[in-house]
Amino acid sequence: MTRVRAACEPLLWLAMSVASAAALGADTPQSWLDRMNAALTSRNYEGVFSHWQSGKVETLRIVHRVLDGAVTERLESLDGSGRQIFRNGAELTCYLPDQRTVLVEKAPPSLLPAGLPKFDASMADFYQLDNQGTMRQMGQKAELITVTPRDGYRYGYRLWIQRSSGMPLKTELIDTNGNIIEEVVFSSLSLPHHIADEEFKPQLVTTGFAWLREDPAPAVTAEGPGVWNNAPLPPGFHLAAQTAQMMPGVTVPVTHLVFSDGVATVSVFIQTEVFHDAPNQVGAAMAQVGSSSAFTSVRSGHKYVALGEVPPATVRFIIEGLMHQSLGQALGVPPQPTSAQLQPTQGGK
Amino acid sequence: MSKEELESQLSAMFDDELPGEECELLARRLARDEQLRERWGRYAAIGACIRGEPGVRLQTTLAGKVSAALKQESAQNGVPATDRHRHGWVRPWVTSLAGLASAAAVAAVAILWMRSEAPALVAHNAPVQNPPAPSLQSLPATAPQLAAVSPAVRVHQSHEPDSYVTPAAVAQAPSLVPPTELANYIVAHSAYSGPLMRRNALSALVAGDSAAPQVNAQPIPAVVTGK
Repeated sequence: MTRVRAACEPLLWLAMSVASAAALGADTPQSWLDRMNAALTSRNYEGVFSHWQSGKVETLRIVHRVLDGAVTERLESLDGSGRQIFRNGAELTCYLPDQRTVLVEKAPPSLLPAGLPKFDASMADFYQLDNQGTMRQMGQKAELITVTPRDGYRYGYRLWIQRSSGMPLKTELIDTNGNIIEEVVFSSLSLPHHIADEEFKPQLVTTGFAWLREDPAPAVTAEGPGVWNNAPLPPGFHLAAQTAQMMPGVTVPVTHLVFSDGVATVSVFIQTEVFHDAPNQVGAAMAQVGSSSAFTSVRSGHKYVALGEVPPATVRFIIEGLMHQSLGQALGVPPQPTSAQLQPTQGGK
Repeated sequence: MSKEELESQLSAMFDDELPGEECELLARRLARDEQLRERWGRYAAIGACIRGEPGVRLQTTLAGKVSAALKQESAQNGVPATDRHRHGWVRPWVTSLAGLASAAAVAAVAILWMRSEAPALVAHNAPVQNPPAPSLQSLPATAPQLAAVSPAVRVHQSHEPDSYVTPAAVAQAPSLVPPTELANYIVAHSAYSGPLMRRNALSALVAGDSAAPQVNAQPIPAVVTGK
């Protein structure tokens, strides 16, 4: 017996070492982020949460179902405007009763596979990941993972991830100065095995509403992703997806470019010939939609709109880089650094 | 004490699960730590919102603990608490919390904010100024939109109508991207965001007011049928 145990001891030690290493690996920040993404995309869940942003708090309810790989989701405001969003696969329907409007959007196929974001080693150049340990949130044990940007081109995150399920119970978005700019806190969360179809039937009577529905998506434009690959971008960002789609109210296909640094994504929409009557007009505007920044610029009859969960300087950098490249191509001039080569404040908390 | 430990304590305090001694210590810290008070104020507003209360109501026992801690601190410093309240250097943060909670309950702060640098389009080749990064302080605060509401009717399965009001859509200032178009961009963008960012972006869209307060708000009726 002793011999058997002696013979087995090295194997036992090896097994324990492997198990320990696995356990250790399971507690790395990256593994927790992967668990969170997996939980958000693969589990049924429903809950009520508060959304805080810019001093305003609103209560929302979400129902998320994954059935045979198909995602169905309902997101509704429990107070305020009564807005509701339903997602059925690639199609999103937004009911905006306060505007008597319904938006219907269907994501077209992309030239490049998106699959965003990915928490791989490359993001270490631009973000620092830390596990702050096990905390208490909503009466549950949660792992606090911090994602801290290394420069001012991106935001940071503080995520309380439920240890038992991988679901984020609380998230904070942190700006480049360390201020919280958005907070989502669940007050109740359940993970039911079955969610009835009834949950995904809109209850709003839309008589008299304007339905803004895109026309059938056209074939993706002939231009390959290489057209936009040489534009100057903020460090770490790359072209991750490109497509063309019809947008409500726009008669020509809109080019949709997606740039990513592995965590944050920025969409750029390019409309051509939107100002036929005044092709030489120029304009620019910055907008803030929740925690997302949007920058719009009009030049040479084209409209560029960049939108993403990044600081305003980043969307502006991307737009001006693309516009400069576009102009350079028209004139046969290689792209040069533009005034948009901003040096945003170093993020630091 | 780390920031995370403080938050954990604060959370426990809010749930009335923090031991009395720790509660007293934290209350004293709250009295002198402005950032911590702000965070507590946010918790209060979130809690009030979740509970559907018009304002923050401290749990009786929690309020008692805080009050006791403040009184004890006053006694230790040899100054009656009532005198401090009279002089207004202990109570202000409590008052500000109540104000914050009330504001959070009734105010409609714009989430969709458009600041056009050149709403009517500027001259060709005009230099584009780099806009400052919007911060919480720079976002325009808005007055409560109590007058700009629209009636809506929710019909239960029992066919009993249930009336309520929703904020009215508001007229927009001239801009390069109308809010509805911007909302469409958000929806299109969300398809390429990560699951967490997508949910948060759509939450912002759902939670957002129609736009920054503008003139000529018109009530818009809506009808909802539901469970």
